[in-house]
Amino acid sequence: MFAYYLQLGLRSLRRNSVLTALMVLAIAVGIGAAMTTLTVMHLLSGDPLPGRSAHIFYPQVDATPAGYTGTPPHPMDMLDYRSAVDLWRAHHADRQALVADSPVKLQAPESKGPPRMLTMLSTTAGFFPMFKVPFQYGSAWTPADDEGRARVAVISSYLNNRLFGGADSVGHMLLLRNTAVRIVGVLAPWRPSPQFYDVRGGRYAQGNTASFYSRTEDVFTPFFSSLQINDGHFQQFSCWAMPKKPGHLVDSPCAWVGLWVQLDTPAKIHAYRRFIANYARHQKALGRFANTDTRMMSLMQWLAFNHVVPSNVKLQAWLAFAFLAICLFNTVGLLLAKFLRRAGEIGVRRALGASRGAVFSQCLTEAGLIGLVGGLGGLLLTLLGLWIVRHQDTPYADLVHLDLSMLVVTFVLALLVSLLAGTLPALRASRIAPALQLKTL
Amino acid sequence: MQIRPVLSALRKHRLATLLITLEIALACAVLCNACFMIAGRLSAMHVDSGVAQPSLGYIKLQGFDSATANDLNARVNSGLRKIPGVQSVSVVNTVPFGQSTANAGVSLEPSFKHNAGVVTFYTAGPGAAKALGLHLVAGRLPRPDEFGTINKYVPDAAQVLVTRALAAHLWPGENPLGKVFWGIGTHFRIIGVLDHLSQPDPAGFGPGQAQWSVFVPAMPGPQLAGSYLIRVHRPADLDRVMTQARAAIRKVAPNVVLDLDQSHTIGYLRHRYFRTDRAMTELLVGVIAALLGITALGIVGLASFWVAQRSKQIGIRRALGATRGDILRYFQTENFLIVTGGIVLGMVLAYGINLLLMRHYELPRLPFVYLPIGALVLWVLGQLAVLAPALRASDVPPVVATRSV
Amino acid sequence: MLKMTHLSKVYRTEVVETYALRDFNIDVKEGEFVAVTGPSGSGKTTFLTIAGLLETFTGGEYLLDGTDVSGLNDNARSKIRNEKIGFIFQAFNLIPDLNVHDNVEVPLRYRGMKAAERKQRIMDALERVGLASRAKHYPAELSGGQQQRVAIARALAGSPRLLLADEPTGNLDTQMARSVLELLEDIHREGATIVMVTHDPELAARAQRNVHIIDGQEVDLAEEPRFHADPSAAGSMA
Repeated sequence: MFAYYLQLGLRSLRRNSVLTALMVLAIAVGIGAAMTTLTVMHLLSGDPLPGRSAHIFYPQVDATPAGYTGTPPHPMDMLDYRSAVDLWRAHHADRQALVADSPVKLQAPESKGPPRMLTMLSTTAGFFPMFKVPFQYGSAWTPADDEGRARVAVISSYLNNRLFGGADSVGHMLLLRNTAVRIVGVLAPWRPSPQFYDVRGGRYAQGNTASFYSRTEDVFTPFFSSLQINDGHFQQFSCWAMPKKPGHLVDSPCAWVGLWVQLDTPAKIHAYRRFIANYARHQKALGRFANTDTRMMSLMQWLAFNHVVPSNVKLQAWLAFAFLAICLFNTVGLLLAKFLRRAGEIGVRRALGASRGAVFSQCLTEAGLIGLVGGLGGLLLTLLGLWIVRHQDTPYADLVHLDLSMLVVTFVLALLVSLLAGTLPALRASRIAPALQLKTL
Repeated sequence: MQIRPVLSALRKHRLATLLITLEIALACAVLCNACFMIAGRLSAMHVDSGVAQPSLGYIKLQGFDSATANDLNARVNSGLRKIPGVQSVSVVNTVPFGQSTANAGVSLEPSFKHNAGVVTFYTAGPGAAKALGLHLVAGRLPRPDEFGTINKYVPDAAQVLVTRALAAHLWPGENPLGKVFWGIGTHFRIIGVLDHLSQPDPAGFGPGQAQWSVFVPAMPGPQLAGSYLIRVHRPADLDRVMTQARAAIRKVAPNVVLDLDQSHTIGYLRHRYFRTDRAMTELLVGVIAALLGITALGIVGLASFWVAQRSKQIGIRRALGATRGDILRYFQTENFLIVTGGIVLGMVLAYGINLLLMRHYELPRLPFVYLPIGALVLWVLGQLAVLAPALRASDVPPVVATRSV
Repeated sequence: MLKMTHLSKVYRTEVVETYALRDFNIDVKEGEFVAVTGPSGSGKTTFLTIAGLLETFTGGEYLLDGTDVSGLNDNARSKIRNEKIGFIFQAFNLIPDLNVHDNVEVPLRYRGMKAAERKQRIMDALERVGLASRAKHYPAELSGGQQQRVAIARALAGSPRLLLADEPTGNLDTQMARSVLELLEDIHREGATIVMVTHDPELAARAQRNVHIIDGQEVDLAEEPRFHADPSAAGSMA
């Protein structure tokens, strides 16, 4: 029976080829627009650490100094140096890492190129295993290197390609500002989306959060080593008072260090919350903190709190779905027109014994056929749309691609939309009374 | 025109009428909001930076130590001045549409009980105010002896210029000259008011804060180095001068890193700054065009169907004495009524969407002026779209009335 | 009232020319009730469409109410249809989207009549056909005979000089057909000119005069005696 409906549908679609083309076009354009934005949304709002993000937390304390009279938002998005180091040294989590960014001048003595400015991530050994960072050559530095202020570095695969043509550069030396460091590890290509461990301040970004999707830093150095290597070039997230020397933030009244911890069990999560609360109370008792506010969000909570998906992207998704809705109404109207135009034929079919269900199925088959063709067109338009997004000057342009799940979603959406669009007209058509000929006009 | 019979005919086609009305309503709502967003982006893109943009270029250096700053400033200054066409070279911490470097909260009292807002501090050496082409509306420019030495970020107790917008925010209705405010660990006294000087990141803050800038005169030194404003005599020379300037830097300061991302003409920096706004505007225009196209197709499709369905009826009307014009006007009236219904519904929807967007995307309220514009566009679109089917209808010969179906 | 001389109508396709009417002559006087008869395909309907200005003709002359209609443009023809001619179709041809009142109103609308006069005429016409109480009904809610009576009311509302009827009882059962025919005869008695096309001899016999068409040409009825076969039917007309 379905084959018969399919045959009828195809014939009917061929008969009104212009109307059919209009409907297919409307669905294709609607699906194309919706899927392009949905794919971008999907890529930007995804989990950067699938399966692990629920165990990753970002503890914060309100380090507002006692006696501070202003009104900052508390707690701030980052920690002051002393709190960060205290919490890190306590080693109460399964894994933990400090993070801070700074611009650094880099030279590779062997490659003879001009010096270049890069962003350096100052972190601790726990960073690499905690975030499952993949290595191509060598490995991370050891916890002993952290405390020993070793002059070592891990570089990105991108930088390794630029400086060493992709060869194993472990053991080679780099000049960071005026300090020689030895490469101990080269990362395999690693492109978390977003660059989650550097996300902060999204609340104040007016929705312009595209920069959260930048590439990772190119140089990773032990936190305490880099404080010496790049002294005077660190940047604060915010300060309660001016640091004594700009760019030197150790023990300054500034928030500028992030702490990430891995907590594997609910009991540990609970214990860590208690730990930072105790720490804050203790610091207040010591007269260092004015308040005892603390906060600890999971990775995904933290991303949501920072509104990581740029508002332009969200706005585009809204627009696309409004557009799809208009295409849907359009298709419903046209299908209705198409089916009712055949009222005579349907009446005769009914007289010849077609049940309501049969007429309904026949009409819905035709609608589904339009959806399938429209979905194919929509897929092509989605690919075109994503190609356009990829060629835009945004940090996330290189992330944009159509994965298998979105491909399936495209077709499901197209079919769903056209079946949805077909239901009402098909219902209406199935209500046509049987008749051997048309009595009225 | 015969509105009542048209309405009663539409009542017999409730479903199709409802669908097309809803489509038009949705199109109207999206159209109004998209136009409003376009207008918002366009006005953001027209922010007055307050500087003589066509004559200005910017050179930014990195990777030097503050110990060598004075030497670097001197070498770059003399190196850049030698380039033919250069009128002046001055040291500034940043430029409009450059990197945002010195933003800080300010307060009207030293205790900082109330934060009066976050402003940008432009610290700039001698000659910069003139080179930027700043337009003073009150007070005076700093005297040579008012360029203090920077201690940390700005000179202590500096005599500064603020923009009109910032002055109006801090001291509404008062004369700002001589007033004092506190921030970044010191206080500032106002000696002049600027017409405009936008923040480096004018859209980065809330609405109305694009001009919250303070111009602080300061002596170049360890904390004010490596960041230069070039002004040329003739704007036509600017691109050549910038190319030569980049080359000159490699010669006079081979060990520093020229920030290729930032070292451009102000015009280019501005162009690049607004690229996402431009892309979004283009996208919105594209969406509007596609939207109107699809809606027009819907109208054409449905009207064609109605014409085909009623061709006998049209024949009867013609047989009963209707002229071609009568038939044409019938379908035009019908379309007008449907579109009007859609517009009425669409306006309600437009406000609903706007309220939603206001809540989530900090958009301002949709001004009423967009509603008649949206209505007019859709009316015209509807009439154009229905014209072809209506003309076809008016071509139905009256003899159709005698044919059995 | 309606005078056609040497009228011809040719349908041309790429391969053939078909004469639907050939050297056709008819002269209907004011106040006459004429039946045009003939077998299927003889050209009856073509005659009617030309007489009603629904189509143009190929050759000959057609005077309607003394006016030569051959040179008129579309708008002028629309105006004549609207003011001088009333149509009654076999399939009633009521507009299903409009109720009875609005259907009868259609020709009056196109005449640009004032609302009060329209209303008066519609009510008069509906009373004339005995359907004043059904003004708010839609065609689908009426029987075939009632629908045809509405169509007649619509034709009458504009006070046309000429009523053209195309198999007016063709879609009706005997009972309903009779009442419609009686209505037409009443209207004729009141002075209307009626031209009725039919292939039903019984119906034709009730007209004052018959014109027979075969292959697009009128044929002298004297040579077709069988149409006079039923004197009782003819008698009922008097």
